[in-house]
Amino acid sequence: MSRTLGAWMLCAFAGMAQAQASPEALEWLRRIYQATEKLSYTGTFVYQQGEHTETSRITRRAETAGSIEKLEALDGSPREVVRTRDEIRCYLPDSHTVKVDQRRDQRNFPALLPAQVASLGGYYTIRMDETRRIAGYDCQAIVLAPKDELRYGYQLWADVQTGMLLKARAFNRSGETVEQFTFTQLVIGPVPRERLRPPAVARNWRVEQAAVSPANLAQAGWSMNADLPGFRKVIEITRTLRQAQPVRQVVYSDGLAAVSVFIEPLAGRSETPAMGLASMGAVHVYTREVAHHLVTVVGETPAESVQRIGNTVSYRAPQ
Amino acid sequence: MKAKISAMMDGELEPHELSEPLSALEADREARESWRTYHLISDALRGDANLLADCARRVSQRLAQEPALVVPLPGPVREPERARWFVPSALAASVAAMAFVGWVALAPRREAPPQVAVAPVSPAQRAAEPRKVPVTRDTQDYLLAHQAFSPRNSLQGMAPYVRSVSDETVQQPK
Repeated sequence: MSRTLGAWMLCAFAGMAQAQASPEALEWLRRIYQATEKLSYTGTFVYQQGEHTETSRITRRAETAGSIEKLEALDGSPREVVRTRDEIRCYLPDSHTVKVDQRRDQRNFPALLPAQVASLGGYYTIRMDETRRIAGYDCQAIVLAPKDELRYGYQLWADVQTGMLLKARAFNRSGETVEQFTFTQLVIGPVPRERLRPPAVARNWRVEQAAVSPANLAQAGWSMNADLPGFRKVIEITRTLRQAQPVRQVVYSDGLAAVSVFIEPLAGRSETPAMGLASMGAVHVYTREVAHHLVTVVGETPAESVQRIGNTVSYRAPQ
Repeated sequence: MKAKISAMMDGELEPHELSEPLSALEADREARESWRTYHLISDALRGDANLLADCARRVSQRLAQEPALVVPLPGPVREPERARWFVPSALAASVAAMAFVGWVALAPRREAPPQVAVAPVSPAQRAAEPRKVPVTRDTQDYLLAHQAFSPRNSLQGMAPYVRSVSDETVQQPK
């Protein structure tokens, strides 16, 4: 039997009892962040979640005026997502639809900024792990072990030369993998612009444009609180979703994991959606009805966290 | 003997048939290796390569804290709650059986329980178990709207968007 993994897990547990964040590991997180911002590359990665695996190609071209990134599904229908400085466009061939989401900010708001990396040490024990070769790159592993049950842990492997993230594993409190991204092939270096063109076939597809504007939920009578340690409200907006009525969205984050709360009227829906908890790897979706509204909580966190946030949502008609 | 171990793993043996393979697992190193190998194969086929790695040790540690569970019962053995949560139901029976074997095989080498630094959520704080519902097409719209605000993008670029357009998870049988 694999004693190494067992030993690793015991070390991980023992490590958690000690403190906090190794400066070297924090420096590695900053390197990964910078690599994500600055590098051009193209590569193939596998996304794994339970029994589900999916292969995709990712291409990024860094430009001073704003970089362009493209994600292409290589399994199943050829879906594509293209992200530019201003917007994200999802090309969905099955429904001949292009979903467009505006980006509010040039940055990936609320980005994990290098300056904020240190504050992660409040909720995760961050340390260096062994080096390992992944897709031909010598990688340094960093472990972020959660200090409570409200968030997942992460194991990250980054290229020693460039800081590029080659593999990311999210694990639960038993150390079991809930989700994993692994590059199987990667070329770091200049990428021609043609590689980032949106699919030509999509020219006549239906476009669903999401409109986003700032919002104040408290004024509208809604209250909620993320009484979870470390999760702070980062943004509050009103948006459209599926061309339907405006939906309110509040995002909470601990700096690494994020949880969104969506609130929309149930009136006018052809069918009432099933209420409860849906799971998809590291993502949990919890729905409940509050004051004739549908409350949907989506988070890259254990089910406990989305539920606890969802259960604090309440409505009182504004005076 | 290997055939019997395999049958036990699949939950195909009657209670009175268990003593022979269980004794073999206790006494015979080779039998124990087969047991582990079969589980690793089964995990690999399911794509859960990490699920049972070193499970015996984890189970025995857990059992060290819950001695009542290891008494052989004529009725079904209750598997640990956490295992039920993560282990597909087909495997649950094996885990229950394994809990017993794990105890038999590994109890003498009990180790100190791992230092757990996680702040446990008290039962009062823990939310009631909600109904499980499937992932739907609508879920992807929420995921897409959510993803733009995830700090994970800062470390992983666009890769997490694969979840927002994943069409297979929707049809995944439950």
